[in-house]
Amino acid sequence: MLQAKDISYNKNAFNIIDAIDFECNQGELIGILGPNGAGKSSFLSILANEFHQKGNQVIFKNNEYKKWDSKELPKHKAKFSQNNNSDIPLKVFDVIMMGRYPYFDNNPSQDDEDAVLYSMKKTDTESLSNFEYNHLSGGEKQRVHLARVIAQLENRNSNKILFLDEPLNNLDVLHQHNFLKYIKEFTNRGNSALVVLHDLNLAAQFTDKILLLKKGKKVCFDSPINVLTQEIISDVYNYPCTLTTNPITNHPLIIFG
Amino acid sequence: MTQKLSIYLFSLTLALVLLAILSLFLGVYQFEYGFMETLKLLILDHSQLSTTDLYVLKDIRIPRIIMAILIGSGLAVSGTSLQGMFKNPLASPDLIGITSGAVLFAAVTIVLGSYIRALIPEFLHYSLLSLMSFIGSILTMSFVYKMSSTNGKTNIAVLLLSGVAITALTGATTGLLTYLSTDEELRNLTFWTLGSLAGSNWTKVAILSIVILISLGALINKGKALNAMMLGEKDAEHLGVNVEKLKKRIVLFTALMVGTSVAFSGTIGFVGLIVPYILRLLFKSNYYMILPLSALCGSILLLVADSLSRLLVAPSELPIGILTAIMGAPVFIAILIRFKKSL
Repeated sequence: MLQAKDISYNKNAFNIIDAIDFECNQGELIGILGPNGAGKSSFLSILANEFHQKGNQVIFKNNEYKKWDSKELPKHKAKFSQNNNSDIPLKVFDVIMMGRYPYFDNNPSQDDEDAVLYSMKKTDTESLSNFEYNHLSGGEKQRVHLARVIAQLENRNSNKILFLDEPLNNLDVLHQHNFLKYIKEFTNRGNSALVVLHDLNLAAQFTDKILLLKKGKKVCFDSPINVLTQEIISDVYNYPCTLTTNPITNHPLIIFG
Repeated sequence: MTQKLSIYLFSLTLALVLLAILSLFLGVYQFEYGFMETLKLLILDHSQLSTTDLYVLKDIRIPRIIMAILIGSGLAVSGTSLQGMFKNPLASPDLIGITSGAVLFAAVTIVLGSYIRALIPEFLHYSLLSLMSFIGSILTMSFVYKMSSTNGKTNIAVLLLSGVAITALTGATTGLLTYLSTDEELRNLTFWTLGSLAGSNWTKVAILSIVILISLGALINKGKALNAMMLGEKDAEHLGVNVEKLKKRIVLFTALMVGTSVAFSGTIGFVGLIVPYILRLLFKSNYYMILPLSALCGSILLLVADSLSRLLVAPSELPIGILTAIMGAPVFIAILIRFKKSL
């Protein structure tokens, strides 16, 4: 459903992304991993149509982004960004309702209200609904934006895609797991998600495929079992690691040091 | 939340209409009949009113009230839209120099325009002035925007300081022009710098109505888009907002409203600062609410200020710009204190 060919991105004659081919099929949850400065965020931004560089070709549901109707596109794809504005003088409910802006002109419909309530439930933000956004803690703000993105894609379209740039920052263990479980449920319904992650073990547990980047180049793009090997990981992260099996989930478990 | 909006819109419209009717009978001139009687006659059968009564109502007070309503809403909506675009509660047309830019061009037109004035028909005089102030405001707007913004991020210090620079230039130029001008031009210039609705007439009302109504129509339903802009421009685009188009629209139509208002009433400052500030106290920064409401509140503010300007020093008149500045300066300071940390 999303094909990207020969994606490159240079800034000030410096290659941030270097000729990456990528494909995401329906129902896949793909983790994008790599050390700092690997180009994960830039790559996700290009796939999500935030900027365009000549020669890059991204096909989403058989069409280039520019051929999409700009009113329709937000109902098929949404992106959670890493640096969310921490100063939005509104109530939490109003911030989450922004996710429904593509759906109504003046009055939010019952569907819109329902979608907001549903997304608040999924992110455990119901109790914050009437709070000032600006008074929340970092992790709570993060969850509000996750709720906004979930609400945005709550519709009857099939085959939707969610781009998430480090969604787990500032979240505690419970909310990290709950959120990834929701994303898993979302992809099991025939949608796709691309998630930039830092936690290799969570990636091992939840993703279907992992794209591993280093210095703007693709190291490998395969199932977690094939990517998360001692050799590849200690080489890419430049730090020794040991691989065992998670006794509870039986997924690979990486221990650094 | 929509129901709430329509209730507020309805009650504010009602208040505006009542104030307008009340304001019709405020002033030095005493009508032959009482308040209710004159109103009834005006609506039902104005041939029964004396000629002076009718003249005062029809040719002086009504156009003046309509102008106060139009200019008030135009200035307030300009302020609110600019604040949404620059993501800052201080970005009002006066503080960032757009009003000054318009005044500069208007002043030059008043003094130097006398050479070409004789060559063009009278109805174009007003248009020439409003056209020139529009050019002045859109030029300063583009200049200020380019100066202060890089990659969609606005440096608020540069934004406000370019306003200071342009205001200084305008002050110097109008000062210079007072030396060059004749007595009549000088009176016109003073009128411009202080602001007044005293020169209202139906021609001005006609031009203003067209400009303000079109501009309001283009901006008033952008509340959702301005809310989304608070997330950041990239994220607004993910919600389907065409950010570049929205900015161009705001630049064009606020310049149009500010330019025309300045041409017809001089510098009536701070309306675009006071109105959104008050609305923010009630509705936070929810532009979905405050953008349409600022249109009505701006009208009410200016209508009240204009009525006061006619009453306070009767039988003389206080320039309305002085009144709005007296209200505006404390608001300015209040914003500085309140947003000290986030500016």
